[in-house]
Amino acid sequence: MSANLLILLAPLTGALVAGLLGRRIGSGLAIAATITGMLISAWLSIRVFSVVAVGDGPVIREEIFSWIVAGNFNVHFGILIDRITAIMLIVVSGISTLIHIYSIGYMADDPDEPRFFSYLSLFTFAMLALVTSDNFLQLFFGWEGVGLASYLLIGFWYKKESACNAAIKAFLVNRVGDFGFALGIFAIFMVFGTLDYDRVFQMAGAGEFKPTVDFLFFGDVDTITLICLLLFVGAMGKSAQFLLHTWLPDAMEGPTPVSALIHAATMVTAGVFMVCRASPLFELSETALGVVTVVGAVTAVFAASVGLVQNDIKKVIAYSTCSQLGYMFFSAGVSAYAASMFHLMTHAFFKALLFLSAGAVIHAMHHEQDMRRMGGLAKKIPITYGVMMLGTLALTGFPFLAGFYSKDAILESAYAAHTGLGTFAWIMGMLAAVMTTFYSFRLVFMTFHGKPADHHAYSHAHEAPWSMRGPLLVLAVGAVFAGMIGVPLVGEGWFKGAIVLGQGHDALAHAHHVPFWVKWLPFGAFVVGVYLAWLMYVRLPTLPGIVAETFRGTHRFLVNAWYFDRLYDWMFVTMAKKIGEGLWHTGDETIIDGFGVNGAAKMCTRIAGGLRWVQSGYIYHYAFAMIVGVLVLVTVYT
Amino acid sequence: MSLNHYLVLGAILFTIGIFGIFLNRRNVIIIMMSIELILLAVNINFVAFSRFMGNVDGQIITFFVMTVAAAEAAIGLAILVAFFRNRATIDVEEIDSMKG
Amino acid sequence: MAVEQLDIHLVLMMPEILVAIMAMALLLLSAWTHKGGAGVIHWLTMMTIVAVVLVIQVGSGTATTFGGQFITDDFSRYVKVVMCLGMVLPVLMSADYIRGHGMDGGEYHVVTMFAMLGGMIMASSGGFLILYLGLELMSLSLYVLAAWRRDDRCSSEAGLKYFVLGSVASGLLLYGISMVYGVTGGTGFAEVASFLGKPEGHGSQLLALGVVMILAGMGFKIAAVPFHMWAPDVYQGAPTPVTAFMSVVPKVAAIAALFRILFDVFPTYHVQWVPILQLFAVLSMAVGAFGGLVQTNIKRLLAYSSIGHVGYMLIGLVANSQAGAQGVLVYITIYLFMTVGVFGLIIAFDRQGLGENISDYQGLARKQPVMAFVMAMFMFSMAGIPPLAGFIGKFSIFMAAVKGGFIPLAVVGVLFSAVGAFYYIRVVKVMYFDQPEGEFKVTLSGGGFIVVSLSLFMIFFWGILPGDLLAWTGASVQAFH
Repeated sequence: MSANLLILLAPLTGALVAGLLGRRIGSGLAIAATITGMLISAWLSIRVFSVVAVGDGPVIREEIFSWIVAGNFNVHFGILIDRITAIMLIVVSGISTLIHIYSIGYMADDPDEPRFFSYLSLFTFAMLALVTSDNFLQLFFGWEGVGLASYLLIGFWYKKESACNAAIKAFLVNRVGDFGFALGIFAIFMVFGTLDYDRVFQMAGAGEFKPTVDFLFFGDVDTITLICLLLFVGAMGKSAQFLLHTWLPDAMEGPTPVSALIHAATMVTAGVFMVCRASPLFELSETALGVVTVVGAVTAVFAASVGLVQNDIKKVIAYSTCSQLGYMFFSAGVSAYAASMFHLMTHAFFKALLFLSAGAVIHAMHHEQDMRRMGGLAKKIPITYGVMMLGTLALTGFPFLAGFYSKDAILESAYAAHTGLGTFAWIMGMLAAVMTTFYSFRLVFMTFHGKPADHHAYSHAHEAPWSMRGPLLVLAVGAVFAGMIGVPLVGEGWFKGAIVLGQGHDALAHAHHVPFWVKWLPFGAFVVGVYLAWLMYVRLPTLPGIVAETFRGTHRFLVNAWYFDRLYDWMFVTMAKKIGEGLWHTGDETIIDGFGVNGAAKMCTRIAGGLRWVQSGYIYHYAFAMIVGVLVLVTVYT
Repeated sequence: MSLNHYLVLGAILFTIGIFGIFLNRRNVIIIMMSIELILLAVNINFVAFSRFMGNVDGQIITFFVMTVAAAEAAIGLAILVAFFRNRATIDVEEIDSMKG
Repeated sequence: MAVEQLDIHLVLMMPEILVAIMAMALLLLSAWTHKGGAGVIHWLTMMTIVAVVLVIQVGSGTATTFGGQFITDDFSRYVKVVMCLGMVLPVLMSADYIRGHGMDGGEYHVVTMFAMLGGMIMASSGGFLILYLGLELMSLSLYVLAAWRRDDRCSSEAGLKYFVLGSVASGLLLYGISMVYGVTGGTGFAEVASFLGKPEGHGSQLLALGVVMILAGMGFKIAAVPFHMWAPDVYQGAPTPVTAFMSVVPKVAAIAALFRILFDVFPTYHVQWVPILQLFAVLSMAVGAFGGLVQTNIKRLLAYSSIGHVGYMLIGLVANSQAGAQGVLVYITIYLFMTVGVFGLIIAFDRQGLGENISDYQGLARKQPVMAFVMAMFMFSMAGIPPLAGFIGKFSIFMAAVKGGFIPLAVVGVLFSAVGAFYYIRVVKVMYFDQPEGEFKVTLSGGGFIVVSLSLFMIFFWGILPGDLLAWTGASVQAFH
């Protein structure tokens, strides 16, 4: 067995051991098993990263076994590790390991610990299978696997009704995306006759496919545009982009380590990863790239604006994630895939850090998540305060921290694209940057500064145990240095053949030559954001109330997240219920039940009774049946 | 006598054997005899074909069939003895404890 | 059967010879040691089968001996390995059943080996005579096995029924063979096929009669409707390890023989046999689906289930293509593991003195969730629910049928599998939603644990990753067409 396969199998083994034997071997051993698996996986990932990405090693391709062979449909389970995958491996296995360790402290009182760790490792396995895939079907397998793990983990506290509802919602919304994604994969198979990345991309590059296909009632549509848009629908669902974003904030019902791992650092970035991976396809369709840009830019602003007024500490970070994913998408949309991947990596560090520190705060406040009931915690939990501050600065693009490099690369690329959509994305990105800084510092100020709102909770607040502090410190280091170290990523041709750029799609190359003011405008946005936040939440704490009162309509609009949940509720749930009830009464009860189900059941029982009667137990009846059978065959068939 | 005569004889014996199995409702021994009759009919067929085609294959098969028939009779009677010791009857109508 | 020169290559028959010699040696050993040697014989049997599998693996390519009467090829080797598994797994899991029900003394193992030997000969048969001899060796052994529990009224009744009806079926088969012989003047498959290949080899009424009779005789062995009536009674009455053995090995052997007869001997007659098998398939699926609905005895339920499974396998034969043949082999291999696994659990129940009534399984999920889960997985696999292996079996069969243009047959098959799923799921329902009755704890014996966990693993493994199975079966049906 190759060491690369072990990267996947180690977490899977951990998950199986903890899941199947957890009750028997006790939670201590179960946790040890999963963490051992994760450590092995992380160590091997680092090794392969140093070969493929740091060194100049060749792309690793391994065919593990043939998976499905049915006629001309031939898929194997394989491993492909190029530089995109190498980065994802580091991010996924590294952060997952840290979060496993963090969870030891966070989940200490939970009776279902083995189950939790089992799901966590299962998730990691699926995510690793997703990123190491060398064909679209295995990608889909990982895609559904992470979806399943996410569902299980959001609903981990299954006795809590809101958690169950959130899990179901996440599952359903993702189904919409996955449906598109599956259609996209079918389309790829139909057009190219294979699902292997290499073959598909090579044929697409060489133009060996039918230029248009007939799709539903749209008539003839451009093949590649259709495929890319369908794939992107999947990405929108998984990465919580505008219109399919509603599940992400609700997913915060899950335990905080889950939010950090799945709903910030890894799973939600699968969509971005997939778009970058499929760059040879997306590059062939201006329309698809345009859609990606617009959806990304709108999401960036939309989510940031909603984040401004949230009071639940985790929801603020959730909307922030949503918004940052928007950045990654519009960056991909202007063909700056390298900048997307760069931001994906830095974001993974600082967002995981933010979530985990938020978890530490929640832990300190005995599961209180409402920021209005916090305040002044800086003195009680200084370490948490320190790392959270670092995370916030990294997110908001404070010079020389992680976000500074990656976000600037994205904004400069958008500006340098010199297209209408690129400029639109740049303006939206700037706007979102101001808002990002504002809500991030709002969070810090409300939580750590000012006077404690709840004196009882405040006095009992305590620093988290070392198992939680350790990962926080490691991530803080990452949040500080990931940007500096990662700069070469956006250099020319770092990703080698893994990312393909079309003719004239060179926004990233031009990004280094943008005017001086474009380079420093994000810092200006940072200053404005911090000042506003300071003014409203430290200097004049009464101001937010006044502003909310003055712009009551806008405030309500934002608090309700642009009323998307209500709209969907009305459009799908209420309508579906009405239609369903109509069908139930007339269709089901009278027609199907009467004639179909109950009728069929009655008929089956009658036939079964008849057979029972024939099976009389007498030898001569049996022999008679045989002879009759032979006679019938002889008369009919000779 | 022509080949057809032998074949008809075989067919009659075969039919008698078959009928013996499901018309007889009294005694398992009669069923065993019917089975022997069926095998006998088959043997007549083989020998007749063999004789009229001048090909010895059929006669060889006949020997094998006779051997197997002997083994079959032995095993059948042994099972019947076991059955009789359990039920104290070999009445065909009584062999019906499992049905449905 | 003109033998111009002696072409006897005993080395081709090594697996069969090994089984025969070991079986006879063990028979002597058991007579010598009385009951004391039962344990030794048990393990010697295991080792023999392992050795046989290894010997089978040594062979390669296609070769014939005894004037073409005995064939070894990839197909026969694959089928023989399946038969070895079908023999060794039931024996392995039922060591303590055999001891506990006074079936030991070693002869049990010997007779099982003879039955398997008959099956192996059938799979390698190159002529009707050797086919008949293999079939009789297998059948006579099975009659004895079914009646093995001499003190049990059901067991001896099962043996008697199986014997009488089986003999009638042999008679039909022989009568059919005599007709084929009469028309073609030969009994070797190659001779008959070459005669039928000629222009004058067509349109004979006698030959058509012969084909129908032969199909009827073989149909009895695989329990295809309307020659299935024995199956529920015999499955129920026979000792459970015998039922497990009987539901796999004779079916595999008879299907293998049908492959030879249909594809090697009567390929030109497919206009005639395809509709007959189609009828068998539809009727078998129907009886399998409906018959199980009202059963209360789990072995009887599994009898109907096996009738249904045979119906699906016949679809693969009807498709009359390599894909169909491959589908049959895939199906039967998966069927082996599902069946053996379920019987392993039934034997585990028997250790507590219960387990034949479905009501004994009430509320098993509350008492022993792992047991219930395993049983549920086997049931789901039998019902053909993905991602378990049973689905892959049905899928490859139906795909072959659709490719061969038998779309209505595939649709009917899917419909009946939906009806049939009902009674499998009813077992699951009984285990998970009914109130438990009585206090008992079901435990597997060591061998039982190995067999059940192996079966469980295989149905998951092949359900998710059928690649290897498809490759093996695909390679072994290259011999046809």
